[in-house]
Amino acid sequence: MTAVCALRAEWTKLRTLPSTWWMLAAIAGLTLAVGAAVTGSVDTSHCSTPAGCMEDTPKLALSGVQLGQVAAVVLGVLAVGGEYAAGTIGATLAAIPRRSTVLAAKAAVVAAVVAVAGTAGVLASLAVARGLLPGNGFTSANGYPPLSLADGPTARAAFGTVLYLVLVALLALGVGTAVREQAAAITAVLALLWIVPIITRLIASAKWEDRLDKIAPMPAGLAVQATRGLERLPIGPWNGLGVLAAYAAVALLAGGALFTLRDP
Amino acid sequence: MEATIEVRALRKTYGPTVAVDDLSFTVAPGQVTGFVGPNGAGKSTTMRMIMGLDRPDGGSALIGGKPYRSLRAPLCRIGAMLDASAVHPARRARDHLRWLAQANGLPARRVDEVIDLAGLASAAGRRAGGFSLGMRQRLGIAAALLGDPPVLMFDEPVNGLDPEGITWIRALLRSLAAEGRAVLMSSHLMSELEGGADHLVVIGRGRLIADTAVGELLKAASGDRVELRTAQRQDAMAVLARAGATVSASGPDEVTVAGLTAERVIAALNGAGVGFTGISEHRATLEEAYMELTRDAVEFQGVAGREAR
Repeated sequence: MTAVCALRAEWTKLRTLPSTWWMLAAIAGLTLAVGAAVTGSVDTSHCSTPAGCMEDTPKLALSGVQLGQVAAVVLGVLAVGGEYAAGTIGATLAAIPRRSTVLAAKAAVVAAVVAVAGTAGVLASLAVARGLLPGNGFTSANGYPPLSLADGPTARAAFGTVLYLVLVALLALGVGTAVREQAAAITAVLALLWIVPIITRLIASAKWEDRLDKIAPMPAGLAVQATRGLERLPIGPWNGLGVLAAYAAVALLAGGALFTLRDP
Repeated sequence: MEATIEVRALRKTYGPTVAVDDLSFTVAPGQVTGFVGPNGAGKSTTMRMIMGLDRPDGGSALIGGKPYRSLRAPLCRIGAMLDASAVHPARRARDHLRWLAQANGLPARRVDEVIDLAGLASAAGRRAGGFSLGMRQRLGIAAALLGDPPVLMFDEPVNGLDPEGITWIRALLRSLAAEGRAVLMSSHLMSELEGGADHLVVIGRGRLIADTAVGELLKAASGDRVELRTAQRQDAMAVLARAGATVSASGPDEVTVAGLTAERVIAALNGAGVGFTGISEHRATLEEAYMELTRDAVEFQGVAGREAR
């Protein structure tokens, strides 16, 4: 009863803010736009033979999620940080005194809306890439069958990418609950996501790159997009997503503990 | 459920600062209780502890005998407006009330009812960010009334309002109390409670200074003083002093008389043939009574400080 009431209240809170709809549009729109731009800019002309490119076309098509995730981070942080900024957290806790119920309800509605927007962005990205790829030399004849969810690895990459966005939003919700201040929380989550990709670009050591990619939330989590050369990945697709899930779980538990223990 | 707020030996510290110190009082049903003290006296902290928002370092606060955090559908037990500006600026007023109602399983029609009750019908579809302070106060009051609770608590509800708004809130609180609800209203200005409160809880530096009915407080502060208006001030003062009164000049042709009833003042003056043009029993204002109270508290603190040394 209380849980259902909390879910309804959180859903109403989320849907009655214009920023929510902008962020959801940005998740889908940025994922699609960047994915299409990247896919359209790569062709087989730089390889000795088209098949020799060994291009992971589903991963290429879904690369827009690297920017789309920023909107998921903002949405996750705003879901709780906006309450602290506006002061409505007091009214929320007055109506539902159990802190864990409030945070669980927020996590559920954030996960649901990001899953919907993420699915839209992922499906649109695949559809657009399917149209663009053959024109750039990625044809069936060259060993690149048209993108299709009937293909197991492609379906896993697509589904995993939606989960990736959901987990990033939950990570942001957890950090936002712990930090409370919106700008600080968004900065912290983006730093956590991008620090390893930036560092590995600078250190140029394959060994360290592998080590860091296994434990960093973004490189590990995006392993779920790989459909080729899985044996050469630092971490397997589902294990990688598991690493991100662990980050999200720790952030939510830490945020939940602080939420329960301290005065708002 | 009994409509009460019971605060028992409540204590809250922030580092070395004691915000609320061994505070006990009860808010009874059927009347408006004014919660008064200067800014920083601990009123808001006390209210936040009553709401289960801040954790006390000692003591307890109970609503109808239960701690806030154990209440089921708390909006139906106690309605509160702690901070009228605490609405998301981008959310429409009606939606703000809607999610609150849903959080406690209240029917959607309650939202429309409190919107009408608070006189917000024309503004309910607008985003709260564009609201004036007065409209935010109305929205906060609408939110407090959502669950039709037997206990209501308002932190500085008339602060910053225009006279029309103040009159409206006073009348509303009065009618809520007349319906048998317990109403607690804080203010840092005693004058705001003049004619608005039946009972007063006065605090300073987190401690209880007074817990008294307004009528008794005024009677005590008024003393048995009589205000006299006369053209023969010197003569009147001499006559009344001989009759055993303590007299003082309070204006060019005004005398304040203590220690004699109005009847005996009249008798004494008539007996001595001293004329006067007006006589009235002095009625203290709440502000005067408050000054007297806080002066006593300051003196008490001074004595206590010396004893401690």
